[in-house]
Amino acid sequence: MKTVKIKKGWQFKIVGKPSPRIENRPAMTHVAFVLDKIPFVKPRLLVQVGNKVKIGSVLFEDKKHPVLKFLSPGCGTIKDITYGPRRVLHEIVIALDSDETFEIFEKVTELALDQIKRRFLIDSLMAGGMWPFVRQLPFRQIANPDSLPNAVWVSLGSADPFQPNAHVYLNHQVDFFEFGIRALHRLVNTVHICRYDETPGKNNFAASSVTHRIIGNYPASDPGVVLYHSKKKASENQDWYIDGQDVIHLGKFLKTGTYPIDRIVAFSDGSFANSCHLSTRMGILLKDLASPSIIAPHKRWVVGGVLSGYTSTRDAFLDPYQTSVMIIDESNKSELFGFVRPGLKKISNSRTVLSALSSAPLPINTDMHGEERPCINCGYCAAVCPVDIMPQFTYKCIYADEIEEALAYGLLDCVECGLCSFVCPSKIEMSDFLIKAKHRYHKEINQVVESV
Amino acid sequence: MLNQFEKRLRRFFEKSSPHFSKGGRFFKFHPLFEALETIFFTPAIPARCPPFVRDGIDLKRFMSIVLLALMPPLFFGIYNTGYHSLLSAGNNLNFFDIIISGLLTVMPLIIVSYGAGFFWEILFSVIRKHPISEGFLVTGLLFPMTLPPTVPLWQVAVGISFGVVIGKEVFGGTGRNIFNPALTARAFLFFAYPAKMSGDRVWVAFSDTASNAINAVSGATPLAMTTLFPSFKTIESMLHNAGFTLFKLFMGNYPGSIGGTSAMCCLIGALILIITGVASYRIILGGVAGLLITSFLLGMVSTTPLNPWADINPLYHLVVGGFAFGIVYMATDPVSAPGTNTSKWFYGFFIGMLTVVIRVFNPAYPEGVMMAILFMNLFAPLFDFIEIRFRVSKRIPNV
Repeated sequence: MKTVKIKKGWQFKIVGKPSPRIENRPAMTHVAFVLDKIPFVKPRLLVQVGNKVKIGSVLFEDKKHPVLKFLSPGCGTIKDITYGPRRVLHEIVIALDSDETFEIFEKVTELALDQIKRRFLIDSLMAGGMWPFVRQLPFRQIANPDSLPNAVWVSLGSADPFQPNAHVYLNHQVDFFEFGIRALHRLVNTVHICRYDETPGKNNFAASSVTHRIIGNYPASDPGVVLYHSKKKASENQDWYIDGQDVIHLGKFLKTGTYPIDRIVAFSDGSFANSCHLSTRMGILLKDLASPSIIAPHKRWVVGGVLSGYTSTRDAFLDPYQTSVMIIDESNKSELFGFVRPGLKKISNSRTVLSALSSAPLPINTDMHGEERPCINCGYCAAVCPVDIMPQFTYKCIYADEIEEALAYGLLDCVECGLCSFVCPSKIEMSDFLIKAKHRYHKEINQVVESV
Repeated sequence: MLNQFEKRLRRFFEKSSPHFSKGGRFFKFHPLFEALETIFFTPAIPARCPPFVRDGIDLKRFMSIVLLALMPPLFFGIYNTGYHSLLSAGNNLNFFDIIISGLLTVMPLIIVSYGAGFFWEILFSVIRKHPISEGFLVTGLLFPMTLPPTVPLWQVAVGISFGVVIGKEVFGGTGRNIFNPALTARAFLFFAYPAKMSGDRVWVAFSDTASNAINAVSGATPLAMTTLFPSFKTIESMLHNAGFTLFKLFMGNYPGSIGGTSAMCCLIGALILIITGVASYRIILGGVAGLLITSFLLGMVSTTPLNPWADINPLYHLVVGGFAFGIVYMATDPVSAPGTNTSKWFYGFFIGMLTVVIRVFNPAYPEGVMMAILFMNLFAPLFDFIEIRFRVSKRIPNV
């Protein structure tokens, strides 16, 4: 087992870490498939409002690769199809039947798995809606089945304590996990299983198969970070990755022949009593996750982690990739002489606040704690960047439209962790800027490919 | 009490805010209003894109820490100025009088520096329609602390105007300047009005007519003195004869620029800056190492008394003149220093080295640290360029 240690990054110091306790949160009336967070896919709808669907019925496919299907997370009637800005498909909402039935896919036995052809396995995963969970670096798009990567990186556990704990979701699921790993072995020669070590010494799951032990600060567990710190040659940049929980679903899909919709979601509202793991399902209405008593106004619903996630609302649905929901205080009150206060309760990576003296977790809100200013080249961002891309210089390259230069600095190694924006004393939206540049570049090279 | 004050203040800003916002009568002066308001209230701005939690530090806090670190040399400077002023006037030296006398000399310089500088800051902000940056809070205090206490007030105004306009705003404002604005201002005064900036009669503020009776030595800085008496065998013995022991030089109780005499106060400031992580310890330690190593090596090869500064105990270089102040407060300005880590060591090292080289080989020009820092400011982008090239060549390409 290799050990990868990440020294840079940031140690989380936020209250409300979800406890390992599991509570059940069934869907009440509706579930939905959220489309706009599926990266780089142009959907072609295959259903209409009013259609009846089962769990695992095809909802839409990718226009560019029509074999890539996306399946229904619920059984019932299509109630609504909503569009976002520029008529981009947003959600497909399904009103649930009281009795839910599954589409039946072909099962794969343990014996058959070792004989199965790679192409056949890929096709069945695509038809079974499981393929979108296998993703590809550096743009984090859905993996290209025609490419043969060096390795696939499986991440177990996260350096972000507000993501589900691997011990929790692997409980009673190790069989499915190992079956999923065996399926991955049929796809790619090398499968790296990276376990993030929160509590060194505890080693009670899938112990035999773990290949990398990850220690260090957030975002150490991100596959991009692990890849950056272990790659030897440029061809490894396009490696695939998959989250540990999705490997379980992969195994479950192949073993049982049904589309797996159960999810373990880490939920936190900043309090000790309510923050825990929730056993729920794909595409759940966010409101259903929290008990009505704790839904208050002036709160921000953040899906996918406070540093790299996105803002949602209580009336939105959970997108297929995310397994973390946080409710944090909205910033609402200006602070008298905020900049000279000693900062006992202020969260900061710098040592300019008194809270730096202790490691006690602190409450958070969405306040910027200051206004935007010009970059003063303080280098705080470079000090936390886990992949050494010197964000302050890379960002200036992009600003000056020197995309080649930015790529040489390692723009594509960016793991989109958000730490550079977090630490910036000038409050520059650095990570947002870098991520958008990455996406522009992806669009550009794909246009070139298509036109040729 | 504080709550009452806060409430009134809030009401005041809420009332006047419409006049300064779009469509209001004074919309032009929005940057000024905004600067004033945000001094009192850190505004509640919600994060619009991830991450949704932001660091508690902002530029105001960042610059406040620098100001805090400037307090020890400032207070000592006020005391020291008053002390030597009263000493030369032959008055009795009680603490209260010393402070009053020091304040009377130093405060006008600071007020003029801030006043003239803010005039330009506000002018440029209003024309360019960008918020007033906090960086000037530091520049406006740094600059007068590098001056001799006798400098005429109009020269302070001229100097800071040059520093802000030519040193910073012509490049596009905060974050884009090549040189440290405070040092640019000082360099301008140094070359435009040398009679008021160097020599032996500018370092003590004479407070009454008894000044005529004062001999030149009592007003000379240790650095300036070394250029006056080539007859002594070594500088060490000469300084010793004049009463400047290493300890006294370290404490800084001798005539000199307002903030720059006390290496001890600069050391306290350096500790504050390094512990809070606001200034780069690499630059400071690199500078000290460069100074000590260069002076040690020069001492090995020099022959007395050709270059009197060459074979002095290296520690003297550290405590004499403005080196400590320069390396702690001026060289660590992040905008004009390199942004990469190894470069910072080199940048500091070369500042220390150049300071010694100027002191040793140009006896007519004893204070080298200002030119050393400005010169290395010029090279900071080159350092960055080289280190980034090196780092990029080490990366596994990903395109």
